[in-house]
Amino acid sequence: MTEKTFGYNGVILDVDLSSGKIDKKEIDPDDLKNFVGGRGLGIKLLWDRLKEKPGADPLGPENPLMFMSGPFSGFPAPSASRTCVVTKSPHTSPKKSQYTHASTLSYSNMGGFFGPELRFAGYDGLVVTGKAVAPVYLYINDDKVEIRDARKFWGTGTDQFDKDLIEELGDPRFRTCYIGPAGENLVEYACIINTAARAAGRGGTGCVMGSKNLKAVAIRGTGQPETENQGLFLEALEEARQSFKNEKVYGMWRSSGTAFALEFLSGQGIMAVKNFREGTFSEVDKIGAQASRKNWVRSFSCYCCPLACKKSGKTTDSPFAGLVHDGPEYETGTMLGANLMISDNAGMMKAIYMADDYGLDAISLGNTIGFLMEAYEKKLIDKKFMDGIDLKWGSVDATIEMIHRIAKRQGIGDLASRGVRALAEEIGQDSHKFAMHVKGHELAAHNCHANPPRAVCYATANRGACHLNGTSVEEQNSTALTDSIGVCLFAMGGYGSDLIAKLMNGITGATSKTDLLQTGERIFNLEKLFNYREGFTRADDDIPDRFFEEPLTVGSRKGAVLTRDQFKTMMDEFYAKRGWDLETSEPGAAKLKSLNLPV
Amino acid sequence: MIPNHELPHWSRRNFMKAAFGSGAMVLLGQFGVFRFALAQQGEENSLSMILVDYSKCTGCRTCETVCSAFNHPKEVNGKLLNGTGNPYLSNIKVYAFNPDVDVPTVCAMCPDNPCIEACPVDPDPSTGRRALYRDSKTMTITVDPDRCIGCKSCAEACRVGVIVPHPETALPERMCTLCNGEPQCVKYCPFGALSHVKVDISKELYAMKPRQIAEKLIEEWYGVSGLSGQERRIL
Repeated sequence: MTEKTFGYNGVILDVDLSSGKIDKKEIDPDDLKNFVGGRGLGIKLLWDRLKEKPGADPLGPENPLMFMSGPFSGFPAPSASRTCVVTKSPHTSPKKSQYTHASTLSYSNMGGFFGPELRFAGYDGLVVTGKAVAPVYLYINDDKVEIRDARKFWGTGTDQFDKDLIEELGDPRFRTCYIGPAGENLVEYACIINTAARAAGRGGTGCVMGSKNLKAVAIRGTGQPETENQGLFLEALEEARQSFKNEKVYGMWRSSGTAFALEFLSGQGIMAVKNFREGTFSEVDKIGAQASRKNWVRSFSCYCCPLACKKSGKTTDSPFAGLVHDGPEYETGTMLGANLMISDNAGMMKAIYMADDYGLDAISLGNTIGFLMEAYEKKLIDKKFMDGIDLKWGSVDATIEMIHRIAKRQGIGDLASRGVRALAEEIGQDSHKFAMHVKGHELAAHNCHANPPRAVCYATANRGACHLNGTSVEEQNSTALTDSIGVCLFAMGGYGSDLIAKLMNGITGATSKTDLLQTGERIFNLEKLFNYREGFTRADDDIPDRFFEEPLTVGSRKGAVLTRDQFKTMMDEFYAKRGWDLETSEPGAAKLKSLNLPV
Repeated sequence: MIPNHELPHWSRRNFMKAAFGSGAMVLLGQFGVFRFALAQQGEENSLSMILVDYSKCTGCRTCETVCSAFNHPKEVNGKLLNGTGNPYLSNIKVYAFNPDVDVPTVCAMCPDNPCIEACPVDPDPSTGRRALYRDSKTMTITVDPDRCIGCKSCAEACRVGVIVPHPETALPERMCTLCNGEPQCVKYCPFGALSHVKVDISKELYAMKPRQIAEKLIEEWYGVSGLSGQERRIL
């Protein structure tokens, strides 16, 4: 390395599955400075690698699938556990484009232990390109990297495979992530799973992994990067630990995980219920934290996380008594519970388990089934269209059958494996009004009728509809930074921006809070540039008609609805603040220049 | 039911109460992993050790990082500071299993010293020590690097699998040091899952391998027996 880059290994592990070539590539120190890591370094590498290839096929060998860590990863900072998977999305597309395969970038963030282990092994990121001729998995043990045969594992669900792979490796301290049958079968919203339940859920990362014939990555490392200022790092670390201890709100996370939000957000009228038709679920008490508590046996933490929001347990009610799985969480419980009008806790848990085991994004899956339930109820489709499945609201049996079909892409499952937009295009009859997506990517478990800022959050997210995107420019920039340093978004309350900056100083060297926020802005803008080049314009930053046309009919926010004027005003303000063109949404030259981005 | 994580760190007093007074310490009553391990007050020269409440552990591995940071300090400008907490160097290790169980694993301080007994180096006539010995002050297992011949017998004899020979020097590593009397893992565990307790050396102890402990926990918590040979789930 030309100069020592503190806080980083300075190395990307680059694997081409077509040729079998394994490279350790030095990272440009400027890229680390300007894009930090994680989501930020991911979009920079994606931009560079697809520079000459706008409209590249997301399932083609040239699309890089990247597993990125951040500068905090591998250091014992609270909740610095995240891995950001960045690639070109197989599940989004613009309304108009000159490119057949135009799509947004995709970034998807997962907890667990993988990102830190990547750093222990001596890398800041793993980039996989090409396509293996037969199923393989990647074996990474510090310096030793091998592409290994995975044919015997192809078709195995993630829960069993999680055990099988560790058995084969013979060491429970390997960290692994993998796809299930859904990714192998190229379901557009297949995800990448680790620890049999944590997921890089959104945006079809598992579909891209499947297209490369890559079943899994197993990693183990013994090293660690060096800090720039050890004294400052230790001081900030101690402060951070104390701050997390004092943060009262985390008691809720520890006792219930995100499941506490099921009852809470239903009460607020902003939950996704009945395919987003309503914001309140009258039977939420049957699927919420209080009802689920009896099934939970322990809390589970990601690396160095004092929150432990995952609740592992065992279903105790028939007919699925004995089913071992964690949850519900807010997203899984809403999308595979309330959004489908399922109030049978055990049935919901079965659906959640199946989504994870097949490796399906529970959010897009819940949207897809919810959309079909609504179309079926409205008689836009009949039982024949549904292959004989009686897909009524609240039916656990029909939901289970649909999950099987989607993961295997059998019959109706083949079309449904492409998500709600593809279904609406096929079904027609104005069904697009309740096809809940932005840019093809389905909405998460938060409704908009009674929560206008959420509409902007969904419409402007660079990966298509995303609830974590942030509702304002400031929030979006700071989230982009959080996703890039390797820390969990849930932990930001425990840190605050001052402590993040202090730790960053200790780890990588001098940097200011203002610089960091500008870094977040730079990342968000480069993502936008990538999308804009693919053909995404303001016309694509739209939300489904449902939110403007059908006021809520139940709950505390009964009557709430958005108006188009209100939405237009919020969006105008957004583009103006971003320094983007009001008509096209093209990032302005002045803004790009100020961020040192290509104009 | 998941345990209440909002409790502060367990004091020894609390711990005694829970261990003997209620069912909270499932492991103690049920499996006897560290059954009757607590010493009476005032006992002299007794051993002490890190006791794990598996029902409270969430597998976050903070213990690994603080153990490593303390026991592998870093010299900065002539001053010795804590290290960066590389978990590979830690003396306590968290083993993770599916279904979700985490087993922090650390020297069990076996009173009959199988590791020391296995050391083939002749006792030093002046101190009576072999190459592996129990430090008279901390009562922890310690290696004399000058006399150790790197035969790995102690690692083979270790009932838990804690002792690991260094990949190059073959000197035994990973024996708990109790961090000069203030174990960092106990101090920093965010969930109060670890305690520093005295051990009654006249009572029998049950050191177990992490996998054995995991199997018992999985059976108790999830009703699934055995880690291997599980019925392959058919989708």
